[in-house]
Amino acid sequence: MTPESTWRLPPLWVLLVAVALILVAEVGGASMSRFKVEQTRWARSVMLARPLVHGLVGVRDVDERILDEALVKFDAGLRLFHMHAEGMGLVIIATTTVAATLVRSAPARAVIIALLTAGGAGYPLGYLLWAALIPYVGLERGKTIAEWLVWIPFGGATIVALWWLTGVVALRLVRR
Amino acid sequence: MRALVALALLLAVVAPAGAHHVGAYTPRDNEITTNFKQIKFSLQAGKFDVALRLFDEGALRAAMREKAAALPSGLEAGTRAALQSRDAPEAERRLMIFFAALARDLALEADRQLADAKLSREARTAMGQRFLEAMWRYYNLVDFAVSSRDNKTSTAVRLAFDEAEGYAKTASASEADKLRAPLRRIAQVLSNLIDGSSTLPRRDS
Repeated sequence: MTPESTWRLPPLWVLLVAVALILVAEVGGASMSRFKVEQTRWARSVMLARPLVHGLVGVRDVDERILDEALVKFDAGLRLFHMHAEGMGLVIIATTTVAATLVRSAPARAVIIALLTAGGAGYPLGYLLWAALIPYVGLERGKTIAEWLVWIPFGGATIVALWWLTGVVALRLVRR
Repeated sequence: MRALVALALLLAVVAPAGAHHVGAYTPRDNEITTNFKQIKFSLQAGKFDVALRLFDEGALRAAMREKAAALPSGLEAGTRAALQSRDAPEAERRLMIFFAALARDLALEADRQLADAKLSREARTAMGQRFLEAMWRYYNLVDFAVSSRDNKTSTAVRLAFDEAEGYAKTASASEADKLRAPLRRIAQVLSNLIDGSSTLPRRDS
């Protein structure tokens, strides 16, 4: 058996980050269902305290629709955090294992693994941030903040690392 | 050249990174429109006892009572009497008046709020769109009943809605300011409909 025919584990800290992310996702999912009423009540009260931010006009027929949309998106943000954190934990384990096994250059391997881990762990937190921001700054502003602070940098890091890893694997296939 | 390649790569990365899921929202019925649909379907199925129970226990009757001062006198009692006497066209006519009144009151309130000179153009268009959505949610439920009785009114309301939506979606400040005129027209046409329908005991077409 050649050294290349066996899978190599990524560094332990990477596995710790991935497992911790999955743990956070599970705790988040459980909390969502256990405290759903309390979360909704809190978000609604924060929004009602900021009528200008949400464009509330003081007419129930108009405002209920605005509040309903914001609460649906607030709930969606929490759900998407739960799902992405679960999924990205597994993605980190899978992709860093491929990188640890197939990327020969040590510096490149370290950078790819770092990008995959940081990007994968950070990206889902954007949904948590977005959900938390919705009651305070509104749907669109909250989305913009989450995009520029989390989704684009961390999502970008993951995409860069995945393209890089794809290139390395393809190159090895060609050179075989 | 390297800088261009780097820029292209950066754009290729940023574009998909920004394309994340944020969920979709489909506006839901409120308790009044839900109750209306339940009553309407019961009437269509000829289940008058069910329609009467839904009316007695539902949000629609509560809203009629709450807004009684702005409605033609006896609207709630007349609707109940029509359901009790199994008179579907009369019940439908009274429900049409109620929803036309809801839409009219929203149009008047929108006109009043949009008159605020301190509102920015963005706030004005956002507010206009939200009021139009709320008005349409009510008017849309009875548009068929309106058009089957008074086609001109239905057309006038629809045209005014289209015009108002155009102004509410526009980017130009001068266009956004024109939003109030079609709102006032909607309120006027619906007021005429309510007054005309309230004096007529039966279908006039």
